[in-house]
Parts: sequence; C-alpha cells; structure tokens
Amino acid sequence: MNCDEVEELIGAYAMGALPAEALSDIGEHLAGCANHPEAAELRAIASALAFAAPEAEPSPALKTRLMNAIGAESATQPGARGRGGILAGLRGLMPQRAVPYALAGALAIAVAALVLTNVGGSDEPSATAITLTGPGGASAVVHVLEDGIVVMEADGLEPLEKDQTYQVWAIEGGQPASLGLLGPAPDGEALGATRADLSGVDALAVTAEPAGGSIGPTTDPVLLAENLTLR
Amino acid sequence: MEVLYDRLNRQAFGLAYRILGDGPAAEDVVQEAFLTLWRQAERIDAARGKLSSFVLTLVHHKAIDALRARKGQVARQLSVEVADVEKTGADVSERVLQSLNRDEIRAALAAVPDYQRRPIELAYYEGLTHVEISQALDLPLGTVKSRLRLGLEKMRTALGIGQAR
Repeated sequence: MNCDEVEELIGAYAMGALPAEALSDIGEHLAGCANHPEAAELRAIASALAFAAPEAEPSPALKTRLMNAIGAESATQPGARGRGGILAGLRGLMPQRAVPYALAGALAIAVAALVLTNVGGSDEPSATAITLTGPGGASAVVHVLEDGIVVMEADGLEPLEKDQTYQVWAIEGGQPASLGLLGPAPDGEALGATRADLSGVDALAVTAEPAGGSIGPTTDPVLLAENLTLR
Repeated sequence: MEVLYDRLNRQAFGLAYRILGDGPAAEDVVQEAFLTLWRQAERIDAARGKLSSFVLTLVHHKAIDALRARKGQVARQLSVEVADVEKTGADVSERVLQSLNRDEIRAALAAVPDYQRRPIELAYYEGLTHVEISQALDLPLGTVKSRLRLGLEKMRTALGIGQAR
C-alpha cells in the first residue's frame, strides 16, 4: 500500500472500519512512514468516542458476578507464574482485606508495569505495608515489596484541578525525595507504582503540587506516615 | 480490579448498552472485558488514563463482536490483545483524554454535521466497515471514506488538537 492509498483510507483506518487485512497493511505502512502524522491523532479521537456514550448503571449483581468469576479463575491456578505468581504473592500480603483477590488484581496491574515480563522463578515477595492518613479523611496504603517495588493505593483524596497533581515523597533525615506523581485524583482515588529503596526513610507524605511535580513539597501533606523504621 | 471496576463500570456499561441496546447482553460484555483485563493484567501499563482507554476499548470490541454475531454478520476479528490496543494510539488518547472531559468529547461529536457524523456512528457503534457503511447509507465508497476522515478532522478541530498542522 502506498502513501496515497493510505491517505485515502486514513479516516476509515482511524475508525477501524476496514477489514482486518487492510487495517494491518495500513498499520505496517504507518510504522515505517512519517508522512501521515495525523493518523495517530485521528485514531485517538476515534477511540475517544468511547467516552461519548452516555454513562449507565449496570445491575449491582454484575459486580458480584465479576468478582466471583475472578475468584474462581484465580483459585484454579494458584501456583501459576506470571499473573498467578504476582497475584498469589500480592494476595498473601493483604490478609486483612475483605476481598483480597480483587485488590490483588488492582495492585497486580500497578506492579505489572514494573515487573514487566519476568517474575518467574523467584519466591513470592514478602512485603511491608505502611498506612498513611490525612486530616481530610484520606488514607493510603503503601506496599513495599521485597524486590524494591512500591505500590500506593490512596482513597478519599480531595480532587485537584487539572493543572495540579498529587506527589509522593520519601523523607529521610528531613530531606524529601520524590517517589512520583499520582495525578489529580478526579474521583478521589489514586494508584501508583514505582521502584524505590525506602530503607532508612523516616516518613512518607503526599502533597498537592503543580502538574509535573515539584522538586520539593510546596504544600502541607494531605497524607502522612511518620516515625517509620524501614529496613 | 474492584477499584477499577467501581471507577469505570458506568462508563463501560453505558458504552456496551449504547452499542447493544440490551442490558443483560451489555453486562455480559462488561464482565468479559474486565475478566480479559484481569487475565492480561501483567501486560498492562499502570497509567490510569491508559487503563480506562484499554477497558473501554475492550468493551467496544467485545460489544461489536456480540452485535455482529447477533445480526449474523461476519465477525470483525477485532483484536483484544493488549499489544494491539497499545498500537491504536492509546498514548495519544491518554493525553487527549487527560486534557478533555466527556462533555467536550460529546460536544465535539455533536459539532460534526449529520452527514459526516452518521458514518462515524455506524463505524463506531455498529462496527460496520466502510463498504458496509456505503451500502447502509447508499453512498459511493469514496464518499464514505472522505466523510469518515472529514468528520474526525472536525472533531479534532472542535477539541483543539493538532491545529498547528
């Protein structure tokens, strides 16, 4: 397929309104050709149509069915590596949770980006869980996995403006170091994961910062855990 | 997964229902989409914008498959592999979506003239190919191709994206 043919079909391509073979041909062409910069944008706009459909409420039973299905699947493959390995490992970390496998699923997604392809062969990670609390009823749990992966799940945050973000700090000897950004938490929840060495860290904090983050905290913490003794 | 479900279920079900017009079938699609997400969890980027795009892409593809099966149409073999979703411009759409809200996206679609919006809706909500759209609307194929493109470009302009070009 040449550039003219691709240009002619680019709207249909962006909409996915072509047979699989044509979609694949055009995809291959675009991968090696810089003449169609609009293709990615049009495709993104087409995928944004997903957000144009009006929201609607499914029956409450759907959530129960879904969680049961996930539970049934995870039960049939407890020793599996890859997904099963991560989930099994995380599941063991959160015995106090009411729906541990469900939470483990969410956390596995966060962890997955860092673990990527290969967790096979290793023993299930052990972990430390740190709870952060805040004055406004917000709370967060930070899971420090043995292989240096840090996962934070926060809830009850005050949603920020679009040009702001929550930023996580590890404070050691009074010096804050950024652990990363959590975004503006439009629905009050945030999930983040990173790889960090928290040994010797005295406190963990979350502050509201301008989008892109700050070099050091510029506001009072909305979430804080102090007097930590991390190995 | 529960957190993610609580956050996205209304949007996911709304999309499936818009495509299928049938509550139980739409719920099946949403359940399948979240299960697929769970099965592929280790391959998915943690970025939340991407996750919501991914979930809705799964819902869209599965709903279109179900719709086409119901109508006896040939399956589109729409892929639901993570790698394919990544290729569909999810990075761009994440940036797009972070700076936009749903009302803006709806307004941009509404700003597209009917004769261009109709082919887009048939492509997106009914999963028709450009040939099928030309048959459904009794339009020459070339007209459908150009209206799909021009309609998307109108949305792009309305959303204020890529105007430098």
